[in-house]
Amino acid sequence: MEFKHKKLANGLNIVAEVNKDAQSAAIGFFVKTGSRDETDKINGVSHFLEHMLFKGTDKLSTHDVNRTFDDLGAHYNAQTSEENTIYYAAILPEQLAEVTKLWCQLMRPALRDDDFNMEKNVILEEIAMYKDLPQFDVMDSCRTLHFGEHPCAKSVLGTVESIKALTSGQMREYFESRYAPNNITAAVAGNFDFEKICDCIENLCGGWKPKKAERITEYFAGTAKKEHHKRKNLNCQHICLMSPTVSYQDERAYAATLLAKIIGDDTGSRFFWELVDSAIAETAGMHCEAMDGVGAFFSYIRAESKNSPKAMQIIEKIFKSLQEEKISTAELQKAKNKVLSGITIKNEIPMGRLVELGVNWVYLGRYRPIEDEIQQIKKVTLADIQNLIEQFPLTNFTQFSIGPEK
Amino acid sequence: MPEKTDIYKLANGMTLIGVPVAAVQSAAFEFLLPAGASLTPDGCCGAPAIIEEWIFRGAGGKTSRELADLLDGLGLHRGSGVESKHISLSAALEAENLLKVIELYADIILKPTLDGQQFEYSRQLALQGLLSLEDDPRHKIMLLLKEHFYPDPLGRNTAGKQEDLQNLTAEKTKQIISENFNPSETILAVAGKYDFKELCSAIEKLFAGEKLKKTKNIKVKKQTLAHHHYPHEGAQVHIGIMTGSITPQSEDYYNARVAVAVLSGGMSSRLFTEVREKRGLCYAVGASYHSLKEIAGIGCYAGTTPDKAQETYDVIIAQFKKLADGISEQELDRAKIGLQSALIMQSESTIARAGAAATDFYMLGKVRSLEEIKQNIEKTSVKSILGYLKNNPFEKFCSVTIGPTEIKPG
Repeated sequence: MEFKHKKLANGLNIVAEVNKDAQSAAIGFFVKTGSRDETDKINGVSHFLEHMLFKGTDKLSTHDVNRTFDDLGAHYNAQTSEENTIYYAAILPEQLAEVTKLWCQLMRPALRDDDFNMEKNVILEEIAMYKDLPQFDVMDSCRTLHFGEHPCAKSVLGTVESIKALTSGQMREYFESRYAPNNITAAVAGNFDFEKICDCIENLCGGWKPKKAERITEYFAGTAKKEHHKRKNLNCQHICLMSPTVSYQDERAYAATLLAKIIGDDTGSRFFWELVDSAIAETAGMHCEAMDGVGAFFSYIRAESKNSPKAMQIIEKIFKSLQEEKISTAELQKAKNKVLSGITIKNEIPMGRLVELGVNWVYLGRYRPIEDEIQQIKKVTLADIQNLIEQFPLTNFTQFSIGPEK
Repeated sequence: MPEKTDIYKLANGMTLIGVPVAAVQSAAFEFLLPAGASLTPDGCCGAPAIIEEWIFRGAGGKTSRELADLLDGLGLHRGSGVESKHISLSAALEAENLLKVIELYADIILKPTLDGQQFEYSRQLALQGLLSLEDDPRHKIMLLLKEHFYPDPLGRNTAGKQEDLQNLTAEKTKQIISENFNPSETILAVAGKYDFKELCSAIEKLFAGEKLKKTKNIKVKKQTLAHHHYPHEGAQVHIGIMTGSITPQSEDYYNARVAVAVLSGGMSSRLFTEVREKRGLCYAVGASYHSLKEIAGIGCYAGTTPDKAQETYDVIIAQFKKLADGISEQELDRAKIGLQSALIMQSESTIARAGAAATDFYMLGKVRSLEEIKQNIEKTSVKSILGYLKNNPFEKFCSVTIGPTEIKPG
C-alpha cells in the first residue's frame, strides 16, 4: 500500500492509499462538522444537510443524482455523527473518477426550498423510526444526559420541534460556515490512479474559498447523572452507562479500546461471563468512543425487568473490582488478538480502509499506516490499562435507562 | 480474475468447499448444519435458537470457559444464526489459525458437552431474546412476514415461541441435536487464504467417523397469503409485504433478481423514488429477494408514521403491480450494473464469499463462479424480464403491520 497526500491551495486535503491488488476503490469526503457544531436553535441541521446534498446542485436534479450514482454501480451513502459528516462511495476502479466528479459537485448543493420542505418529512420519519429502536433511543438520551452543557450533548437527529422550526435560510448559513475547503478532507482507498483523482478534485473544488471553521474542543468528564424513564410500549429494561475516557488524539486511546473489549466484548469479556453466560442479561456490551478532545466508554445492557437490579449490582461490582482484581495478561492478550484480527479483516476491503484513512487525517492530521496501528496495539501493557482505570474510574458513570411501565 | 472453487465430498456425504480470494491474509468459513427452524418437531419451536448457543457451552472435554478462551485467543470474529433449514456457524480470522479453529468447531458440532445447567441458561437467553423482539418491531416484522408468507413449517419463527421454549427440556433438545446434526447434509465453505489439501485431510480426520444419515423429510402445508396486524404503541406503523417469486433453480432466476433491482436497487429505483423522494412518506423503504429451496418471495419493508401508513402501503403495492407494464432500457442497465458491481465488491470479503458459496451449494448443488453470475445478469433483457413478470405476476400479497393503527389491504 502506498500513501499519497496533496493539499490544495484553499486548504482541502486529499489523502490516499493505493492498493493495486484491490478489486474496488472507495472515496469519501469527510466534513469536520456535526451536531456538536450546532446551536440549540438549529439542532439537527448537520444531519438534515447531509440528506440535502443528495438533492442536487444548480445543474443536477435529485433524480439526476440518484440515477448517476446508480448508473455507475456505486455503493454510496453518507452518515452524520456528533463531529463528522461523511459522504462515501465504494465502486469499481474504472468508475472512480466519475463518482469523484459527482461528489465534488454535490459538495456545493442547490438547497432548494421545495426539496427542503419535502425532505423535512423524511427527517421527521427518521426521528420516529429511531424512537421505535429503544437501543438507539437510550444511548442517544444517555449521551445528552452525560454531556450536559457540553456541545457533544446535542442529538444528531435533532428534535421534532427543532426540525419543524428549521428554515432553509438557517441551513444555507450553516452550510456556508462549515463546508469550507479547509474543513474538508477527501480520502481515497483501493485500486486507482492518484494523479487522475487529484486533478479531478482540484478542477472541481480548487475554486472554493477557504473560511474560518472552528470547533470548541473543551474536555468534559460527564455529569454522572442518573435517570430512568418508563415507556408503555417496552417489555425489557434498556440501560446505557457512560463514563469519561481519553480523546482520539490521546495515545492511550488504544489502551482504552482494549479495556472496553476486556470488560464488555460480546464474547469472553467480564460482562459476558458475569451477565450473559448466566442469562442475567440478554445483551451486555461496552465500547470506547474516542472523540475530538473528549472520550467516553459506553455500555449497553438489555435485561428482563426482574433481572435488571441484579444486573446493575453486578456491573457496579465489576467496575469497583477493577482496582483489586487487576486485568490479567491473558485477558489483555485475548483483547489484543481480537482487535488485531479485526484490523486485518476490515482493511482487506477498500471501504474499510477508507474510513480509517479519513478519520485519522481529520483527528490527527497525519497518516497512520496499518503497521503502526498494529504496533501501537501490541505495545499496550497491563500498566497502561491499570493507569487508565485509575485515572478514569468506571464507577463514576452517567446512567440513562428506559423500561416498561409495569 | 481467474478463480477455481475446490469441492471435496466425504464418504458420509459432508461437503467441503474452498473459495480462494487473492491477496488476503484472512480466512472465513461457514458451516451449514441441517438443523434449522423448519426441521424441529412440532411443539419445539425455538429449539435451534437454544442449540446454537448451547453447543458453545463446552465441547470435546473442554469447559465453556476453556473453549471460549481458546476461540477468543485465536482472535476469532464469530457469528451464528438460525434459518429455515439450517443453523449456520461462521467465523473470520487470520488465515494461519484456520486449522486450529476448524478443529475446535468439530468438537462444538460433534462433541458438545450439553450440560443440563448450561441448557437452562441457553433457554433463558432464548426467552429473553423473544421478549426483546417485542421492543424491536422492525426486526420482529421480518420474522413475522416470513412466518406468514412461507407455508408451515418452512416459515417457522427462528426466535421460537414462548410456550414451546418454556416446555423444552435438555433431554428433548439433545434428541433434536442427535437427529438433526447430520454430516451427510452438512456443508462447510472456506474462503480466503487456505491450503485445500491440508483442509481436506483435517476434515477427513475430524468428520469422517460420522455415519451417513437418512435425509429428513418434512410435510409442507398449503401456502395462504393474508393480512395480519399486531397492535404496538410505537411511533411508527411498520409494514411488511411479501409476494411470490421463483427459486434460484429456475431458469428465470436472474430475471427475477434484475426485476427486484429495478424496483428497489439504488436510490433511483422505483420504490425509493415514488415512496421517499416524491412523497416523503418514509425514511426506510426497500424490497429484497428471499428464497428457500422450495419457495421464494420478494419481501418489502417500510416504516412510517400512522397517518401515512395507508398511502405508503397503497403506493408500494401499486409499484409492484406496475412493474409488469414495462421497464426502460436505462432502468435495466442500472439494475444490471448495480448487481454486477455489488457482486465484485462482495467478492473482496472472505466472510461474504464463504457464506455465498455454502448457500449456492445447498440451493444448486454447485458453486457459481463470479463470471457465471455476471454473464447471466448480462443476458437478461427487458423482454425476458417482462416475460418473467407475465408468467409470475405480482398479484397476491402477504402483509403484516405492527403499530398503533391498522391499514386496509387492497
